[in-house]
Amino acid sequence: MAERNALVVDDHPTNRLLAGALLKKLGWTVREAETGEIALSMASELAVQLVLLDISMPGLSGEETCTRLRALPSQQPMHILAYTAHAFPEDRQRLLAIGFDEVLVKPISRQRLEELIGNLSAAQPG
Amino acid sequence: MKPSSFFGGIRGKLISIFVLIKVVPLVLLAWFAWHATQQLGEDVSVKAGAMADSMLSSIKTIGKTVTDDSIRALDLRSREAIEALTTDTAKEIADFLYDRDRDIRMAATLEPSEATFQRFLSGRSRALHHHAAWKLAADEKSWVPEVPVTPTVNVTRPVLPDNAKDFHARPPEYLGEVEQRPLFVEMTYVDLSGQEKIKITSGNLTEKSLKNVVDRSNTFIKAETYFPELKKLKAGEIFVSDVIGAYVPTQAIGPYLPASLEKAGKPFTPEESAYAGTENPLGKRFRGIVRWAMPVVKNGQIAGYVTLALDHDHIRQFSDRLMPTEERYSPIADPIKGNYAFLWDYKNRSISHVRDYFIVGYDAKTGLPATPWLDESLYAEWQASGKPSDEFLAATPPFRDQNLKHKPAKALSQAGTVALDCRYLNFAPQCDGWNALTEHGGSGSFVIFFSGLWKLTTAAAIPYYTGQYGKTEQGFGFVTIGANVDEFHKAATETAGKINTLVVEKDSSFKTLRDEMLGDIEKNLTSTAIGLWGSTILMVLLVIGIAIWIANLMTSRITRMIDGIHAFQGGDRKRRLEAGSSDEMGELARSFNGMADSVEESFKRLEEAKEKAEEASRLKSAFLATVSHELRTPLNGILGFAELLQAELTEPEQQEYAGIIHRSGEHLLNLVTEILDLAKIESGEMTFNWVETLLTTFIDETVSVYRSTAEAKGLQFTVLLAADLPAQFRTDPTRLRQILNNLLSNAIKFTTQGSVTLAISRTANDLKFVVQDTGSGIPPESREIVFEKFKQLANFLTREHGGTGLGLAIVKQLTELMGGQVSLDSTPDLGSTFTIHLPLDNAHG
Repeated sequence: MAERNALVVDDHPTNRLLAGALLKKLGWTVREAETGEIALSMASELAVQLVLLDISMPGLSGEETCTRLRALPSQQPMHILAYTAHAFPEDRQRLLAIGFDEVLVKPISRQRLEELIGNLSAAQPG
Repeated sequence: MKPSSFFGGIRGKLISIFVLIKVVPLVLLAWFAWHATQQLGEDVSVKAGAMADSMLSSIKTIGKTVTDDSIRALDLRSREAIEALTTDTAKEIADFLYDRDRDIRMAATLEPSEATFQRFLSGRSRALHHHAAWKLAADEKSWVPEVPVTPTVNVTRPVLPDNAKDFHARPPEYLGEVEQRPLFVEMTYVDLSGQEKIKITSGNLTEKSLKNVVDRSNTFIKAETYFPELKKLKAGEIFVSDVIGAYVPTQAIGPYLPASLEKAGKPFTPEESAYAGTENPLGKRFRGIVRWAMPVVKNGQIAGYVTLALDHDHIRQFSDRLMPTEERYSPIADPIKGNYAFLWDYKNRSISHVRDYFIVGYDAKTGLPATPWLDESLYAEWQASGKPSDEFLAATPPFRDQNLKHKPAKALSQAGTVALDCRYLNFAPQCDGWNALTEHGGSGSFVIFFSGLWKLTTAAAIPYYTGQYGKTEQGFGFVTIGANVDEFHKAATETAGKINTLVVEKDSSFKTLRDEMLGDIEKNLTSTAIGLWGSTILMVLLVIGIAIWIANLMTSRITRMIDGIHAFQGGDRKRRLEAGSSDEMGELARSFNGMADSVEESFKRLEEAKEKAEEASRLKSAFLATVSHELRTPLNGILGFAELLQAELTEPEQQEYAGIIHRSGEHLLNLVTEILDLAKIESGEMTFNWVETLLTTFIDETVSVYRSTAEAKGLQFTVLLAADLPAQFRTDPTRLRQILNNLLSNAIKFTTQGSVTLAISRTANDLKFVVQDTGSGIPPESREIVFEKFKQLANFLTREHGGTGLGLAIVKQLTELMGGQVSLDSTPDLGSTFTIHLPLDNAHG
């Protein structure tokens, strides 16, 4: 399988780092973006299969970013997970309605991440 | 608007009351007026009708009374006049007869010789009247005079104005052609042997030769038997005979006309039949005599007898020309009209009659009395007796059972021998009447229905009492006059007719008048009724209109007020009522406005409070969300990297440290989660997402984690599902799972050995989730507080088992929010049983 590009979008470096580390362990090539705008420009340049997208960010919000990502011309489906500390059930409903494929609630665990993206990962990390 | 709601409102009530107090009296008044008018009309109609009727009746009564009185008066006057005529006639006849007594006395003084007798007779004549010649009418239905005589009034001088009133002149009475007739047909001198010695005759009624009158056959029509009577006479005594004449039969009773004769099968020979006035003016006359006789005394001795035979026509003259009508006298009597006079002799025999065949006479051949007219029964008796009629009748009681029911004997009628002998004329009761009136010398009258006419019939005795006629008070006989009663009161009946016509006219005119009047009254009543009711209806409408107007006026303020209140109620809180007036309504309006101000203010405050509360709630939610977010964000790093470290560190001690960090982080996360849940619940921010949930799938997903945890701990984990569970039910799976998670995690946490069981069953309305463990149990005194926040049993347990102290509080709150309840049953050291009841038919769903 070709390169699997995951994009972690979060204004918080620790969160980017954690998600990136976990994804790398799961065999993904991880790019990080600090804002929604950067994420959008990166996603338009690079074929991204997975996006972990924070919701509460300065600038472009996660929701807006998600909507724009979905609007990008893309050759393959983009799996977008909300990567958020908004843990209330109503938040989950709202996010799924906007266009997120799943919601990854912070704090995350490797197990939970694997559950959500396991079907996307063909190869086990080395 | 429904009637009930109409009358329920003030307006309706006002209108009703107004209408009631105004309209009812109005209608009553109108009704009374109308009723009175109608009654008046009826009264007037009835009275007018009665008045008209009574007027009419009066006229009728008056008319009838007048007529009746007139008739009665006229009848009485007529009766009086006719009775007077009758008695006068009787008196005249008697006088005439007495004159003949003087004649016979004179004659008795004469020296009997032809010459003296001749001289005596020649001086004694009297005028008789005869009608002129009559002939059969051209149509042969009656007899008519050949030359009609119409006496005319001849008044040659002008009538003076003073005399002009009811100036009434009559022509000279016309009795007929005058004939100077000798009184006597014969004068004889008879010697004592009955031999006629001298005989002077006039006319040729009697024989001229001298005969012996002892022999009856030598007498006039062989009927005289006077000589024996003469012998009885003393000097100065007078003998007067009966009327003696030959009976003249008739060929027909009634008008003698060719048709009636033809019918009777007899030849038309009027001259052969008896004379009968206008019925047969050409007929054969009855000729009779009455003989006077007186002894002739010579030298004191009766030497012989002188007799004078009076021509009977002279007696008849008194009755034949008499008319009891305005006509007074007639040259010819008319038997049909019933107005004529008869003479009857002392034996009640007819001696003068218009119809000569009714005059009693003798059979000229035998000299015996001719059979008189008899009724059927007497005739039959006579026929049965086989005797000659005179002999038979001599033995028959006179006036036997006379009445109108008896019928004349047909045989006699047909034979034309119908002489009237009143004694035996039993089908003519007037005979008895006449005799009753005259037998004692008087006179009188009665009315009898005879021959189809009501006839007044009078009778007056002829007061002549010479000789045999002196034996009874009746004298010579009697005069009867028959008169058609209707003739008397013709004027009255004519007047009555006129009155009747008048009455009929008046009747119809009265009726017309009355009908017109009744019609007018009816019309008036109708127009009155129309006017009355029309004006009443108009008034009623007016009153109702006014009532509605006034009611509207009175209630419009209330209505406006109600509208205002309704508007206010409907949300128009700026709406205020008009409070201009100073009356109770104004006060009410002001009160309402004041209240409305308060309410509006309250609402405003309420709005503000609500807004504030909503804002607070919103802020709280945002705060909770923010707190949650902000607490979770660092925990992401802590837990994530602790997990990474745990996996990557090789040094067991370091690995343990990383584990501690991770567990502490998780504990913090749990605390954060549960605090936020609780905060959410208590602030009312908790929302439920009810969905149809597959029960078994839900249970499997929920318990899978705990099954492995329990088994890892060496506990037996059992899930018991009842057989009658529904396949799916309505719930918020997240919250139910949260409840079960708390209970199951607690059960496993606090059970060191034995088993943890989840049993799910259903009751009538609930789903029952039972979590049973074999843990240390909860002492009875703590069973209530385990559901309180941060009230954990033996606080160390929390530390030991890493609980937050909020789990059961959340369980209780969530269960109750979902409409269910939680209960605890526990025995220390044996275990605890938590039971959750959730309604199947969830009201929240």
